[in-house]
Amino acid sequence: MNVPTLFTFLCVLAYPALFAAYLALHQVTLKQLRSGEYPFVGLANVIKLFVDPLFLISLSNTAVFAIFTVTAEIVLAIAIALLINQSSVWTSRITRVLILLPFAVPPIANGLIWTFIYDYNGGFLNRILLSTGLAESPIHWLGNPDTAIYAVGVPYIWRTLPFCVLLVHAALQGMSRDYYEAAAIDGASAWQRFWAITLPMLRPVIVVLLILRTASAVVVFDEILALTGGGPGDATWVAAWYSYRKSFQPPFDLGLGAASAYALAVIIGLLSLIYIRLIYRRAEGT
Amino acid sequence: MRLSPLAKAVLHILNVIVIALLLLPIGAAIIASLQSEVMLRGDLRSVIPRDVTWDNYKILFAGDESREGTIYSGIAYLPDAIRRFGTALVNSSIIAVAVTLLTLTFGSLTAYSVARLRLRWLGWFMGLNVFARFVPIVVLIIPLYVAFRQLGLVNSLPGVIIAQTGFLLPFGILILVPYFASIPTEIEEAARIDGASRFTTFMRISLPLSVPILISLGAIVFIASWNDLLVPLILNTKPDLMTVPVVLVSLIGDNAVFFGLLCACSLIAMLPTVALVMLLQRYVVEGLTAGAVKA
Repeated sequence: MNVPTLFTFLCVLAYPALFAAYLALHQVTLKQLRSGEYPFVGLANVIKLFVDPLFLISLSNTAVFAIFTVTAEIVLAIAIALLINQSSVWTSRITRVLILLPFAVPPIANGLIWTFIYDYNGGFLNRILLSTGLAESPIHWLGNPDTAIYAVGVPYIWRTLPFCVLLVHAALQGMSRDYYEAAAIDGASAWQRFWAITLPMLRPVIVVLLILRTASAVVVFDEILALTGGGPGDATWVAAWYSYRKSFQPPFDLGLGAASAYALAVIIGLLSLIYIRLIYRRAEGT
Repeated sequence: MRLSPLAKAVLHILNVIVIALLLLPIGAAIIASLQSEVMLRGDLRSVIPRDVTWDNYKILFAGDESREGTIYSGIAYLPDAIRRFGTALVNSSIIAVAVTLLTLTFGSLTAYSVARLRLRWLGWFMGLNVFARFVPIVVLIIPLYVAFRQLGLVNSLPGVIIAQTGFLLPFGILILVPYFASIPTEIEEAARIDGASRFTTFMRISLPLSVPILISLGAIVFIASWNDLLVPLILNTKPDLMTVPVVLVSLIGDNAVFFGLLCACSLIAMLPTVALVMLLQRYVVEGLTAGAVKA
């Protein structure tokens, strides 16, 4: 019964993962792809990678992107989950349905729509600002190297929020009302109840989100491709974009691309190890 | 706990803000898709258009003859990929349906055996599964491209189907194992005593009991496959094999950006998945939360 799965795993997961290591240690560009011979170059690709200023910039951009988006995702997810948990408020029930919407939107479609929203000449945001008189002249949303990475982060957060909200909401629904009623009787304000009861009980789900969302943020690709292509300058070159550009656009250096992808995989591997340990500890605890 | 009128009012306002933000990109896209390029470029300030046209949508489906519509007066050039939009819709549908069926079949077979047969290496298998969930596609796509090139699987729909199934299977197995494990073994044992084989028991008893989770998983896998850009973008370069996201990508970076057309394409691209999510709301929520919590 496991044969089809094992076959697919070998073909699509295990083999490429090992093959990536092989590629990273060999010189593989278009020339070698055509001839079918890949000369062994040892760690040359890895060294090339870590002396490439662009790769180091990509890593630091990725870190900024991940910190910004993961923080925003978790804070917004808790806020919105608390909001849609108010089943006596009828507008909350509408939000609860609509929150799923971004999950269905193809990331690349989302990215392209935001190119219109952000556009300098007649983009949607600038139209709103100009027609309401909030701004005198249009704003270059994606043109400022200091803020472009955050501007790219917003559509990404918009797209990934449903998952985060649903997880927090599921955790909220699993909570007993008794604590809240006891606290309310003792005269605790809503604010105090949040800090003393809700937040501590949400800790496990926050940890899960922290790791899952970081693993996803460090490989962001679609939004970069749609919105900035790494620009302005190198302000939004992120790690996945680096692997893609080096491999599939000139200079078509698949060896270097594989090495950079592997560096990324190591980072994510460490994250997932932490995740697995946390899950097992939680399983033992219950 | 009763809410005071003031608290309720605040909550209503917060909800309106959240709903507005959720609908902002969709609303912007609808507005842009109903305007001609001439209109969009002629007036850079107003949010609501004074004139509405369906020409962007007509161009997408009318093929070559109506490409000189009213919206592009003075612009002769149109992105070539637009002509592939119909084919891309068909390709995307074939791929997404195939990937969904394969993931459900392989996934439930494996998950059932993991849940029922207590073999020692299965613990490792599940650990690897969790690990595989984290390996980003960007990392695997480069060696996969080289390997598929040698196997002759690039530039073919089966190549994309196999790759996406492989990437989505770990997630599917992770969701299905706890579900199968929660089905009481007594029912199955009764059937076994009556002479049913393990496979018959699986087909006749466990699978029908698992329909809700299979719907959840199916919906999520379909959406993931439909929305996926990287795999078809890299494995397929032939225009005839483009999927919807790949066509969308090819609309950027050309000489001119046609926002109206681009937004019309994006809206049609999200139509099947949005419909699916709205129809199967409860199942999608169930599947998404199950995947992360019960790992």
